[in-house]
Amino acid sequence: MIMSEKLDPAALSKRLKALERQVEEDRRTIDELRSHDELKTKFLSNISHDLRTPLAAIITHAEILRDGMLGALNKKQGESVSGIVHGGQQLLDMIDEILTYVRSASDQVTLTKSDFSLPELADQVRSFNESLAAKKRITIERLNGDDLPLVYADRDKIKHVFGNLIGNAIKFTSDGGRVWIAFSEINGDACVEVGDTGRGIARSHHELVFKEFAQVDASPSRPHHGTGLGLAIARRLVELHSGRIWVESELGKGSKFFFTIPLNPARD
Amino acid sequence: MASRVLIVEDSDLVVDALRVLLVDAGYEVDAAATVADAVERASASPVDVMLLDLTLPDGNGLEVMESLRNAGALPRATLAMTGHNDSRARRSCIEAGCAEVLLKPVPIGELLRQIERQLA
Repeated sequence: MIMSEKLDPAALSKRLKALERQVEEDRRTIDELRSHDELKTKFLSNISHDLRTPLAAIITHAEILRDGMLGALNKKQGESVSGIVHGGQQLLDMIDEILTYVRSASDQVTLTKSDFSLPELADQVRSFNESLAAKKRITIERLNGDDLPLVYADRDKIKHVFGNLIGNAIKFTSDGGRVWIAFSEINGDACVEVGDTGRGIARSHHELVFKEFAQVDASPSRPHHGTGLGLAIARRLVELHSGRIWVESELGKGSKFFFTIPLNPARD
Repeated sequence: MASRVLIVEDSDLVVDALRVLLVDAGYEVDAAATVADAVERASASPVDVMLLDLTLPDGNGLEVMESLRNAGALPRATLAMTGHNDSRARRSCIEAGCAEVLLKPVPIGELLRQIERQLA
């Protein structure tokens, strides 16, 4: 029965036509979805850029007041204006994160590679974060890495990855905790570990944390706010270097984030 | 005589904020919102320091540099100001002759230091 149906040219042609129609329909749906996605990305990019400009003006005006350029402020006024600067900068960081994500998601990111030392870069990001850590009495240590060979990669992009991982480690670690950075070589790759003694991440959430807009606690009352894009960007930037990023963690037992960067990539 | 600073920036809000800062710091401040306007103002009267936004309604900010170089009217120093920390954009600014590339909003202390350094 099946054989005869397969061999019947009329039936075959009919099925072929139906399949072609289906393929055409699917292609249209894909095109439509792709164009919606591009539109959304473009919108996100435009709106973020447009939000940035007035915010820049607000921050500058507030800094002028804070620094007493237009007359001395009393202590309470000073604190209040500092609050405007601080809040504005936090908002700016979030907008920049969205812009970075949009650029990386729409393949607008190009790598500008050079030879540099990963541990030295880690030290730079560490010292940049030290005052934030000190507020929570958290120590940040680099455990090793002096003998790690140089990598050929995009320094700014890897700095962004370090900034994100170290920033998260501080954010999710309680007062008095520890953050560390360690280096090793695995199968021709440099492997970076950023560990902390923080709250940890349940195994079921290990994949989720690298997804866009995902936060393990996504409720409006969650204690830590953000765009939920930081680790998605970090993953994208590491993958652009043909590296890998992952987490090893258990709830209540701290987290270790790892990423790899090839030590001898093709030179372009 | 006060040094002359030209702000090339298409957002009135940002221009107003920078104007308050720079006038208070004792500079003579002028502003332009387009490539054409910037070229005209810088050609008409010599500029000591130009603060140059890269995205302008009628073109790229670096076109201002090119036109002024051709007209022999380049400011003593140009500080590019960009909203995005992009190493490629940074390189093209330096290649075009900018003294520094600053990320907007530039903290006011840093901006004043940069301008002073260019005038020293």
